[in-house]
Amino acid sequence: MSWLSGPQMMFLERYLDLSTMRQTLVTTNLANIDTPGYHTRDIDFRGELNRALDAPLTTVSAPFTREVRGLTERPDGNNVSADRESMLLAETQLQFKAAAAILRAQFAQLSTAIREGQ
Amino acid sequence: MNLFRVMEISGSALLAERLRAEIVTANLANAETTRTEKGGPYQRMHVVFGARPSQSGSGPGSFGTMLASFADLHAEEVRVVNVVADQAAPIRRFEPGNPDADTQGYVAYPAINPAEEMVNLMGAARAYEINVSAVTSTKAMIQSAIGLLS
Repeated sequence: MSWLSGPQMMFLERYLDLSTMRQTLVTTNLANIDTPGYHTRDIDFRGELNRALDAPLTTVSAPFTREVRGLTERPDGNNVSADRESMLLAETQLQFKAAAAILRAQFAQLSTAIREGQ
Repeated sequence: MNLFRVMEISGSALLAERLRAEIVTANLANAETTRTEKGGPYQRMHVVFGARPSQSGSGPGSFGTMLASFADLHAEEVRVVNVVADQAAPIRRFEPGNPDADTQGYVAYPAINPAEEMVNLMGAARAYEINVSAVTSTKAMIQSAIGLLS
């Protein structure tokens, strides 16, 4: 197994993919904050990450999105909560940044190896 | 799914909310308008929002589209589906001296409640703000992805 396709890299790749997916959903929820009848959607981040890691590397599987329960619905049938989505927005951004930083550190290590430690 | 498309989703919301603010402002501005091109007083306008699956920018059948179709199942942009006129009856005020008064001396004014419109305007402004912060957040993510190259 080459270093570039190792488990650590694969984990980071999936992590970034799922963060992007979640950002899409959070953004969609926020965009539809005033759409009558729209219901908040989200993914089970941890569960999807485990599922993605168990799956073979070559398969592309769509994450399951689900409607979030327990949110207060407005009279127009919309249940998007600005607070919940803002929190998730910040959280997802930090998750993505953290994974990108780790990935960058990995490449820096490889770069060091290429330059024979100089 | 790429992050630029995420920004497009937020962009659709910015567009929709701005249009809503425009319509609300038009309602406020015309709260006392008694003459229109169609005749009669101004009619209060409403915007109707609808969620629509976000459209892929690349051509049909391309690899990008195929891949995106897996991940974009629930990426929905917001669109202004329709702008409709309020069917509420105009408010009749007794102003016999007004040139627009009918034979009994009543003038028909648009049924617009400024307080209601202001609340609507504030809602549009808040929704706009929250979508701007979503764009800011997505931008930061793109920046950190670009950082991998340096």
